[in-house]
Amino acid sequence: MKILETKNLMKRFNGVRAIDRLSIGIEKGQITGIVGPNGSGKTTLINLLSGVLEIDGGEVIIDGIEKFTRVLPHQVSSYGITRTFQNVRLFEQMTVLDNILVVVTERNVFGSIFEKNIEHHHKISEEVLQKVGLWEKRNQLAVNLSYGQRKLLEIARTLAMKTEIYLFDEPFAGLFPEMRKIVASIIRELKQKNKTVILVEHDIGLIRELCDQIFVMDEGKLLAEGEPEAVLKKRSVIEAYLGE
Amino acid sequence: MEYLIHLAILFSIYAILGVSLNLVVGYTGLLSVTHAAFYGIGAYTTAILLTKTGVGFFSSVILGIIVAIALSFLIGVVLSKFKGDYYAIGTFGFNTIIFAIFLNWQNLTMGPFGIPGISKPELLSINFANNFNFLVLALIFLGLIYFIARFITKSPFGRVLKAIREDEKAIVVFGYNTPYFKLAIFSISAAMAAVAGSLFASYLTFIDPSSFRLMESAFILAIVILGGLANLRGAILGALFLILLPEILRFVGFPPDIAAQMRQVVYGVILILVMLYRPQGLIGEYKL
Amino acid sequence: MEIVPQLILNSIIAGSIYALIALGFNFVYGATKFFNLAHGVMAAIGGYAVFYFAKTLGLNLYFAVILGVALAGIVGYGLDKFIYLPLRKRKASNMVLLVASLGAMTALQAVIAILFTSRFKTISQNIGTQKLFEVLGGVITQTQLIIILVTALILAGLVFLLYKTLFGKAVRAISDDEEVAQIVGINTNKIIGYVFFIGSALAGLAGILVGFDTGIEPTMGLGLLLKGVIASVIGGVGNIYGGVLGAFLLGFVENFGIWKISGEWKDAIAFTLLIVFLIFRPRGIMNK
Repeated sequence: MKILETKNLMKRFNGVRAIDRLSIGIEKGQITGIVGPNGSGKTTLINLLSGVLEIDGGEVIIDGIEKFTRVLPHQVSSYGITRTFQNVRLFEQMTVLDNILVVVTERNVFGSIFEKNIEHHHKISEEVLQKVGLWEKRNQLAVNLSYGQRKLLEIARTLAMKTEIYLFDEPFAGLFPEMRKIVASIIRELKQKNKTVILVEHDIGLIRELCDQIFVMDEGKLLAEGEPEAVLKKRSVIEAYLGE
Repeated sequence: MEYLIHLAILFSIYAILGVSLNLVVGYTGLLSVTHAAFYGIGAYTTAILLTKTGVGFFSSVILGIIVAIALSFLIGVVLSKFKGDYYAIGTFGFNTIIFAIFLNWQNLTMGPFGIPGISKPELLSINFANNFNFLVLALIFLGLIYFIARFITKSPFGRVLKAIREDEKAIVVFGYNTPYFKLAIFSISAAMAAVAGSLFASYLTFIDPSSFRLMESAFILAIVILGGLANLRGAILGALFLILLPEILRFVGFPPDIAAQMRQVVYGVILILVMLYRPQGLIGEYKL
Repeated sequence: MEIVPQLILNSIIAGSIYALIALGFNFVYGATKFFNLAHGVMAAIGGYAVFYFAKTLGLNLYFAVILGVALAGIVGYGLDKFIYLPLRKRKASNMVLLVASLGAMTALQAVIAILFTSRFKTISQNIGTQKLFEVLGGVITQTQLIIILVTALILAGLVFLLYKTLFGKAVRAISDDEEVAQIVGINTNKIIGYVFFIGSALAGLAGILVGFDTGIEPTMGLGLLLKGVIASVIGGVGNIYGGVLGAFLLGFVENFGIWKISGEWKDAIAFTLLIVFLIFRPRGIMNK
């Protein structure tokens, strides 16, 4: 079953088509890789799916029924979508724990002032911080973490959301091997729980290892799709990469 | 002694202003320079009601809060479209416009002549014309507002405000409709400033528009920045320091009119030094 | 004297003064990208310098004007050197720079008040005997005519400087991208220092002209600054022509706005114009 589809998705920047009539379908409970050369529109796609950028044309369909084309950015998470950013975006002058707590509380003003489930939220936060090994650092400011810890904290923040779809924009980039292992195991665990992961990644080895299906993008268009092994052998795909 | 009580009352009023502005500037990261407008709204509401109608002081405080919330809501909707330094320039505009209304709506505010003869509060036969009693009242208001501000900033709502300050685009992705949060805190802060205004009007028994200029907003901002952004005790410390400053200057031996200007010099220099060497203020938890 | 021609003349005169402030303000903003609130106080420094050199010391008036312009420039240069430059080196946010400049403005304004008292002063020697000209049915004084001419000259000079000289090329490169400018070997800090000198000197000149037209007081800078900021924002901040266009638009809107109501509303009208622009065209007339 397709949990997320795009139909003729369009995005232009100053007239240039960054995403050009892109139609893809993503299976529930699978790990989907988005690959392609730099500037092929991968991050733009993530930004459209997460509501950071406005959609210029086409549509995004969730669960085969709910469409969003003109929703406000803050409404996208209610479709069960959460994400990380290519350049880590944390709430720098807040503690590690607060970085997690802030995304689990009530979404409305009154609810968040008179929050009732504080204990439950602390439990979730402890769970996800333990998972990425940052529980000990919970009272440090995010700005003081190392690069790898920052990436892990960002991933932990998405886990706390407990959504259906996770968009990870280069979660492995710049990480040491032991941290890569943590991230890979988190992604596998999400799959085990029948969650959907969409992964933008440059490392072909990781793509082969983790992904069930991949989409290759080039200049905003879909170049190829299918299982990693088969797709990565295709001539056009190899050319697009070497052509860079 | 009488003079110390006078200073303590002024301190309470400015501490309320500092604590409330800190919610907007320190916690939410919005550089608002229009706090004196809401302060003035409270003061004028109390002054007009107490001199022209039979409404009592405490009812006038409530009405001042309501007017301030209504107005701050309108202003906040417009301001929510601006970012960073443009936000600050926009707030200059609203302070100037509201000041012009105080100055020019003469039927209501008596314009530059001001409103004299504002009565002091009365409650259960306690006479607040006695300055000591008034001080107790002002401190009770300060305590109440400090408590509310503390509750708000410690709540998950306060955490969302900080996240807005740190990276608004990111927190939106997690499902928060941030304009509502900004509007809510802006109105809460305005309501608190109006309370300070009501106290001010009733204490001095006379107000005119000159107390609610743009420079007054800058002065309140200095309290927050000096004392400490995103720290409520910092705002109180800032208020204490800037209220005592002219007294210190007088004590050192400046004549009164020079001391008033020296105060401006010192507080300008403080802003510069804080920005240069300690952007979070004395005990702040956020660097601008 | 008919009303409409006079309103047009008044608009042009006001527009010229605002344009002079906006030109300097925009020149500095283009290179530094922050709202320098201390820009206005340079006008007061220029005005008071002429008052001191010409009236107190009795120096030649033209010589005093040159000294006044230079002094404003030097103070502006000093502010950059000792406050803004260290902050820029630390990559401080625009808000930090804005707050620091607010501090500088407050302190300098108060220093002037301490040196010269805060009373209103005139620097024109021939009050009441100024030559009057009749233009299109309205009346204009000699000083006001000079203001218009000087503004036109300064605009031409600044355009020449920006587009026909090597210095101008460097300034434009910094406006586009300071880091790139640095990489291609421009000493950006030195150039920005000169930009501050020139921009502040222009503000000083504006202050002197206002001084001859009406008079001077220590707080004159804030009003002028705000008008300069409004003119720049509605015209297109950082854009030299935009600032001038915005200044004249502001002059006309203000003067025609108070046709039927009290002149005290002028500032409120100006800021309403600003807020309307911030909402509907935040980047101004000239910027896309």
